[in-house]
Amino acid sequence: MRYQIRHVTRFDYAEPAGFARCNLRLKPIHWSGQRLEDYHLAVEPGGDTAPARAEAGLANVTRLVVETAARTLTITSSARVTVDRLLPIPDPGDPTLATIAAAARVSRDMGAASPAAYLFPSPRIPLDPAIAAWCAAELAPDRPCLEAAIGLARAIQRDFAFDPTATLVDTPAREAFDRRGGVCQDFAQIMIGGLRAAGLPAAYASGYLRTLPPLGQPRLVGADATHAWVLLWCGDALGWVGVDPTNGIWMAQDHVVMAIGRDYADIAPIDGVILGSGAQAMHVSVDVEPLD
Amino acid sequence: MASKAVPTSLFDAATIADRWLADYCGPKPFADVLVTARPDDRAAWRIALEELASVGGEALDDTRERVQRHASDIGTGFRVAGERAERPWPLSPLPLLIGAGEWQGIAAGVVQRAELLEAVIADIYGPGMLVANGHLPAALVTGSPWFLRPMMGLQPPGGFHLHFYAVDLCRGPAGDWRVLADGVRAPVGAGYALENRLSVSRTLGGLQSRLNIERHAPFFAAFREGLAAVCRRAEPRIGLLTPGRWNQSYAEQAHLARYLGFLLVEGADLSVLEDRLYVRTIAGLKRVDALWRRVDPRFLDPLAFDSTSAIGVPGLVDAMAAGNVVLSSSPGSGVVESAALNAFLPQLATRLTGASLLLPNAATWWCGGEAERQEVIENIDRMVIAPAFAEAPLGLPAGRPVVGAALSPDERTALLADLDRRPQDYVGQEVVRLSSMPVVSDGRLTPRPFTVRVFAARDANGAWTVLPGGFARIGEHADERAVVMGDGTWSADVCVHGPEPVDKVSLLPSVDTVNLRRNPGTLPSRVADNLYWLGRYLERGEALLGTIRVLLGHSIGADTGAALAPDTLWRLIGLIVASGAAPPPASIRRQELTQFAKTALEAEEGFSVRMINRQARGIGAVSRDRLAGDLLQLLDAPYPTRGHMLDRAGSLQRRYAALAGLSAEHMSRTDGWRFHDLGRRIERATATAAAVRTLGTLGASADDLSTLLDLANSQISYRQRYLTGMARVPVVDLVTLDPGNPRSLAFQVTTIGEHLARLPTLGDDGLAEPQQALATALQAVISTTRAVEIDDAVMRDVEVRLAALSNAVARRFFLQGAEPLRAAGLTLA
Repeated sequence: MRYQIRHVTRFDYAEPAGFARCNLRLKPIHWSGQRLEDYHLAVEPGGDTAPARAEAGLANVTRLVVETAARTLTITSSARVTVDRLLPIPDPGDPTLATIAAAARVSRDMGAASPAAYLFPSPRIPLDPAIAAWCAAELAPDRPCLEAAIGLARAIQRDFAFDPTATLVDTPAREAFDRRGGVCQDFAQIMIGGLRAAGLPAAYASGYLRTLPPLGQPRLVGADATHAWVLLWCGDALGWVGVDPTNGIWMAQDHVVMAIGRDYADIAPIDGVILGSGAQAMHVSVDVEPLD
Repeated sequence: MASKAVPTSLFDAATIADRWLADYCGPKPFADVLVTARPDDRAAWRIALEELASVGGEALDDTRERVQRHASDIGTGFRVAGERAERPWPLSPLPLLIGAGEWQGIAAGVVQRAELLEAVIADIYGPGMLVANGHLPAALVTGSPWFLRPMMGLQPPGGFHLHFYAVDLCRGPAGDWRVLADGVRAPVGAGYALENRLSVSRTLGGLQSRLNIERHAPFFAAFREGLAAVCRRAEPRIGLLTPGRWNQSYAEQAHLARYLGFLLVEGADLSVLEDRLYVRTIAGLKRVDALWRRVDPRFLDPLAFDSTSAIGVPGLVDAMAAGNVVLSSSPGSGVVESAALNAFLPQLATRLTGASLLLPNAATWWCGGEAERQEVIENIDRMVIAPAFAEAPLGLPAGRPVVGAALSPDERTALLADLDRRPQDYVGQEVVRLSSMPVVSDGRLTPRPFTVRVFAARDANGAWTVLPGGFARIGEHADERAVVMGDGTWSADVCVHGPEPVDKVSLLPSVDTVNLRRNPGTLPSRVADNLYWLGRYLERGEALLGTIRVLLGHSIGADTGAALAPDTLWRLIGLIVASGAAPPPASIRRQELTQFAKTALEAEEGFSVRMINRQARGIGAVSRDRLAGDLLQLLDAPYPTRGHMLDRAGSLQRRYAALAGLSAEHMSRTDGWRFHDLGRRIERATATAAAVRTLGTLGASADDLSTLLDLANSQISYRQRYLTGMARVPVVDLVTLDPGNPRSLAFQVTTIGEHLARLPTLGDDGLAEPQQALATALQAVISTTRAVEIDDAVMRDVEVRLAALSNAVARRFFLQGAEPLRAAGLTLA
């Protein structure tokens, strides 16, 4: 599948904001099964952009510095991406969870894609005994890893309600867990928390999901949203495998990875500091258009 | 009780010391530094006990109180996490004595360890060979919450990650020293070591010279020079970055900053422009070359680490990467603090330094390795189980080490289950036993287990030097297992004594190397802001107290002691009400006036004296690196709660007068003092204008005018000048326009103008800045007005001008507005 993605973020300020320094992590990374063919970043009314130093997660980071006072700041990220990703097929011969946990513990890889980097609790996904206990039902140590991964994703999709009103971007995983509801980030955090509590290396992926319009209706431009899901490291042979607990499916042809980190804080698409004194409002529009 | 804090003669002291020694050295359950001391060390202890006895004789608790009092005079305090009030520093008067020979061994081990940790940090963030070659598992690095991936590949400016290092040591039963924990992020306690030494030497005056105790000053000088040596500029400006006054060790930070001559700064004072770090001062932005940081590294820079940090400096890490600022220690170096690293350090020492560890750490097994995990599970009853990293694992929810044998069956089950799931979160350690030392407790010497925190710093050549001494933490109970000691309840000074007299001359730098300086350096805008408002609050409190006292009948002019006329009383009440101190009373009957005064003095809301005092105390607490200790103590003195309202107001007013005297006489004439005095002058001018408007306009009675003179402290001046009774124009002239009267409005305005003329300006065009222009205009108004013209409108105009002036001062000199907004958030589906 080829996609044209347009991701527009607009900040409105009550008073002109004088100065902004932000990290933009909007440009999709290179990742197995996808290829970035074209990319363009536009900032209105303007500002200096430069590649930033390496960061906590796997992301293409751009440092944006705006020095002119403005009431709005619009950041438009346009990417054309080809996705060609095989659907994982669980097999009884896959490594067990105990095997991959032990392999991750002795990893000699210090890179940002090393399983060792995703074994531990992170600022937004602390280890939680209730989440650990609930997820443990799907995570018996002798279970083959792919079967366990999709099993847990489906259990979350089955037992948790999709409810955009239940949580906010900074709602802790435990709160969403207790409500048995939330959005993609909540489900990803719950699943990652459960996997890590079982000793497994699990990462947070952010990116885009192609959404299909209801039958017989046209696709609505800009109505999509950024999406979050989970990567589980399944040993050297299988590598990182993506699962989407919001939909109970594998990461496959419809998912485009933007960035990967321990949690949202590592790879927020936009964060940083804006000096201003008034209120701030933000509007995001995302459009994932299939090209063929 | 034999003698209460009476200096005892040397003969008595020797007798008492011998008796203490004999009593103490009876059979003891475990190893004690004094009981097992070699003869020369024992002689040193005896001298220390003799000094102790010569202070308060046998009344040991009195001596302890005395040293405690010295500690609180020095300003030592600490805060327990989550508490707002500072606690006094618990200090035992008897220091821990360590002979110079034994100390040399300790110091060599500390230096070796500091070098080893530097090498490990440099490899982790640099070439990464230890992990790549299998000497250190990657998970041992990534498991630490202090590991900061964004720092990978960043060369620290000046070449070092560590410039200062703290290590907790313990002495085993056989006199063997061991490492318990390493501190590289924010090595708390060096200030406490300094303060302990100061308090103890004030109490046990003769100890220093009788025992040839090594001094602390050269160590701190070396640290300062070491940090300066790695900066790019020859005369660098170095800041101590504090998280702010609510931090547990804020008092220590303020003390250290003052002692080292570092600028005490918060994140909001700092700004990065074009990869250079600046502090916002009253004279504009000034370069900062190095920061000794006490801020959690994750909060240092919202652009590099936690983007939600409100106490960090955006772009700080970029400035570091560009080589323009030295951060000590470099962010991410805390990765070596993990308990789990102790399992690998013995081998790493051989590999990286070519020698085995001079000071061993407690034998440690990291359960992330399969064989080690088995070992720990099999020997769980003989081991301490501890978190491998800083965070509490699921099986040890309290996050503290536990003795395996002491676990309840449920705890053990939970722990073993999690050891199965997440073995990487745990270490097993041998049970370390501690020696004890004599501590003053319940009026006698009692053995208590202790640990010692030792500090090391790099000198100007980059070589490590060790503070001779440090501070001992003393366990509350006699249990000698290190794991049950917690943070310790009491502290003691640690003294390194030797046979040779300590060379005093070497402490002083040679005359040629010191550049004389009369300007004490940079005044951060935040500090100027605080000092200005401290001045305003103190003056406001003083003025309000004066008004309350006049209201309650204290008037020099009241010949017969008769009450003031009701109209005058109501006008006074109006002044107090307008200041926001209390709502108006229903009548001026005695009882209601007293209640009104009580509210104005003590209300827990509005602008009562109590609330003003609280504001002033809050500012005093954050300005402690700039204020005299006496001033802080007066601010912190308990609020009077007994006696008549008049007495209470009087005693408070005297306290405020003392505060005014202290700042007038003891603050050196720096820009900081200027802001403090500017605040006082603007406040006093405003109060005077309001008083004249209320009591001095056309139709004012004799009582009104007399009261006005009281409020302006000008009763005596008036009597000396005018033999007639109260007349409006001369009274108003004296209080408002007379430039020779130090309480007059004109005097305040002139002083304000002088201060503003001497404070730095930003432009080089020679034009007056707004605050200067406003002050000049106000001076013109005062000097061209005649007393007969003064009425309500003139005084209101003066008040408006003073308010505008205050705002202009704030805009020009202080940190203003521009709160950073977070550009975060994103819709998720």
